[in-house]
Amino acid sequence: MKPVLEVRNLVKRFGALVATNDVSFTLHEGESMTLLGPNGAGKTTIFSQIMGELQQSAGSIHLYSEEISRLKPAARIKRQIARTYQVPRPFAELTVLENIRIGHMPNSIWDMLRQRPDLEYERQLAHKVGLAEADYERTPAELSMGDLRKLEMARSMACKPKIMLLDEVFAGLTAAEVSQISELILKMRADGMTFLMVSHDLPALKPLVDTAIAINQGAEIARGSFDQVMANPAVLSSYLGEV
Amino acid sequence: MTQIIIQGMLLSGLYALIAIGFTLIFSVGRVLNLAYGAYLMIGGYVYFYISQQLGLPKGIGLILAAAVGCLAGLLKYRFIAKPLKGNHVAIEIATLILAIVIQSAIILVFGESTKILHSLVPGIVRLEGVTAPWSNILATGLSWVLIIAVFIFVRQSHTGRAMLAVSQDPKGAAICGINGEWINMVTWGISGLLGGVAGVFFASYTQLSPFMWVGPLIVTVAIVIVGGIGSIIGTLIVAHIIGFLEVIVVSYIAPELRGIFTMLLIILFLIFRPRGLFGREELA
Amino acid sequence: MKLIEKKHLVAWGAFLLIMLLMPNFVSNGTLRIFIFANFLAIFAISWDVLSGRTGYISFGHPFLIGIGVYATAIMSKRFGMPVEYSIPLAVLITMLGSVLIFLPALRIKGSYFALVTLAFMELAYQLVQVVRPDLTGGTRGIFGIKTLTRGAENGFYMSMSLMFAVAFSAWLIMRTQLGTALSALGMQEESLEGSGKSTTKLKLAAFMLSAFIAGLGGAFYAHYVGAIAPRTLFDINFLFTIIVAVLLGGSGTIIGPIIGAFFLTFLLEFLRPYLPGAGRYFIYGAIALLLYMYQPKGIYNLLEKLYQRWRGGAA
Repeated sequence: MKPVLEVRNLVKRFGALVATNDVSFTLHEGESMTLLGPNGAGKTTIFSQIMGELQQSAGSIHLYSEEISRLKPAARIKRQIARTYQVPRPFAELTVLENIRIGHMPNSIWDMLRQRPDLEYERQLAHKVGLAEADYERTPAELSMGDLRKLEMARSMACKPKIMLLDEVFAGLTAAEVSQISELILKMRADGMTFLMVSHDLPALKPLVDTAIAINQGAEIARGSFDQVMANPAVLSSYLGEV
Repeated sequence: MTQIIIQGMLLSGLYALIAIGFTLIFSVGRVLNLAYGAYLMIGGYVYFYISQQLGLPKGIGLILAAAVGCLAGLLKYRFIAKPLKGNHVAIEIATLILAIVIQSAIILVFGESTKILHSLVPGIVRLEGVTAPWSNILATGLSWVLIIAVFIFVRQSHTGRAMLAVSQDPKGAAICGINGEWINMVTWGISGLLGGVAGVFFASYTQLSPFMWVGPLIVTVAIVIVGGIGSIIGTLIVAHIIGFLEVIVVSYIAPELRGIFTMLLIILFLIFRPRGLFGREELA
Repeated sequence: MKLIEKKHLVAWGAFLLIMLLMPNFVSNGTLRIFIFANFLAIFAISWDVLSGRTGYISFGHPFLIGIGVYATAIMSKRFGMPVEYSIPLAVLITMLGSVLIFLPALRIKGSYFALVTLAFMELAYQLVQVVRPDLTGGTRGIFGIKTLTRGAENGFYMSMSLMFAVAFSAWLIMRTQLGTALSALGMQEESLEGSGKSTTKLKLAAFMLSAFIAGLGGAFYAHYVGAIAPRTLFDINFLFTIIVAVLLGGSGTIIGPIIGAFFLTFLLEFLRPYLPGAGRYFIYGAIALLLYMYQPKGIYNLLEKLYQRWRGGAA
């Protein structure tokens, strides 16, 4: 398998606090990896550094063997990586389809003016993530948490990524919605998507991932298969807060 | 040189007083009150009406200017800031509209023409060939008394410390049982009071006109932002930088360039140091 | 679906027709009021394209308009340049000038940005009075600028065509994907960036479009009134009128600012016999404040709701 995303010796300091402490990992094409750890372990901080929303203090990030550590978020997304957020942040006054359009529309101002939106593609994508036809013209305020997560997935997918970072995709969902999203992820995996995920819903996460890295206080404490990592005593005690 | 120092101290003291009233609201409520300039007008005109049109003692004029300013602040909080709570852009726009309404009301009552305020106290001081009116010195002195009083109030009194708490962490303060609404109201009231008094001093330093509020408003907001939002010491320092700069430009370069330098300085500062000189964001 | 539909075009056609026939029904005095309403509508659309969509509140729009006004006035009056050149050049200069307020928008937002733009307006007011008064006319301004039209009817047709062209083009642009992206910028700048869009490019597009409209409106305005003065141009009352027109009409739409501009101009004229002078602004401001506090989405939204209720009742 070809390595697609490499994180090397990543460090992020906020004053005296070390939020990411020398974290390294490699994600291969089609692989699905999860970062495990208690609240505040520094998982989202790693996501933000990979996407360029936060600048790392040291270390580097490589995408398809190109260093992207200094690129702006938009430039990284153009290189086919996208993320979702713990708290969905849709465009409040745009409809569901228009929200998806934002991800899909061209980058140049001239093309934005010239090209008509690809409604067919937007509908397909909305359908694929499991949004109901009746919701296509609704605004986010009228959607349930589950539908908001689906919309967030669709908007990221519209950027045509090959790697997706999913931050707490199962939070606030009903059991039925969890299984819907899980199915979607499995389907996307079958289509070749590479995933990096964070979630507190361990049972939901387990069937979706190949490898796991446990993090506590910004540093790696274990890695391996999901079951291996979860069986590690250091990981268990970190979740119980007995470090 | 002495001239510059004296003039600079006088103008800076005034700017500092104006800015302190503003910084209180900005740090506690986190909102630009664009009608703050209108407090200056209200104060100036109340004083003008009481002591020059009715001929009552000047002290009463000054006290009433403060009282009406305070009332204006309370009303503004109750009818604009509170209903629009949290929507900063809406409050800014609403206060801008309100400032225009107040300006028009003043034109309606007093006319558009510029008025000269009589000095607070008569006489002129001569010091090493430099002259300064007693009333300006008194105004600056009183400004400092008020500034120090605010400083002590914020640091020492129970309510003042609660203001500090709200400015640092509104939710945390609410959990500790501080009544945020009450603190906000007190802040708007005090801010109006300071604005009213500052208006009297400012109008007697320059002149009284329905258009007198825009310039000082911009200067004030800039002082507050550059000084570090809510930092009283920072506000004082920056008020002096701008005050002295204006006096230097007026005496050495050209009086008509005074506003230009101030605006340029403000624009440059806001672009390059939007977090302020000292980069803090709490009341201290 | 925000695409062009037949009913929209019919509505625009009807609007154009009513405006074209207007001089047959109303007096010359009323036409003159319409002329000011048309110009105000152009300025309001310009403000809304920038601030209403992207959320970057400009308190310095008179600064942009003023560049257009002064540029064409100086070129045509002082250098005898024909209007065919001075107006397009003035528009170009306004767009260049807008870079000055665009640069801060890359670093600062919200209240800070609003304040910088306000400072720019004040700076422009001070500058034109002292820098090269032989060109700018100093405090007194510039008189005797070549006027393009004579009589109320011609002035009305000129201002109306310009307003219609600006409004219709802006409407078309806002229907494209660019319009959607600009609105998205005002709602969630971070998410837009997280969708791989360059917010810098989008902001620049919004500033340029807004400056284009402001410069165009300003330049034509200069050649309509024939005389300009810094005090009435770089004035907080002028700024207030523009912003209030947008907010009362309904921001984030094209028809809203037009409705707001017409409403405000006619309200002001209606009040003239009762309250001469600047005192009118008192009533005017009070009405604006009340409407803003209780109907923040504007008159257009109110009309839309009434229309829906009416249709609901009829069906």
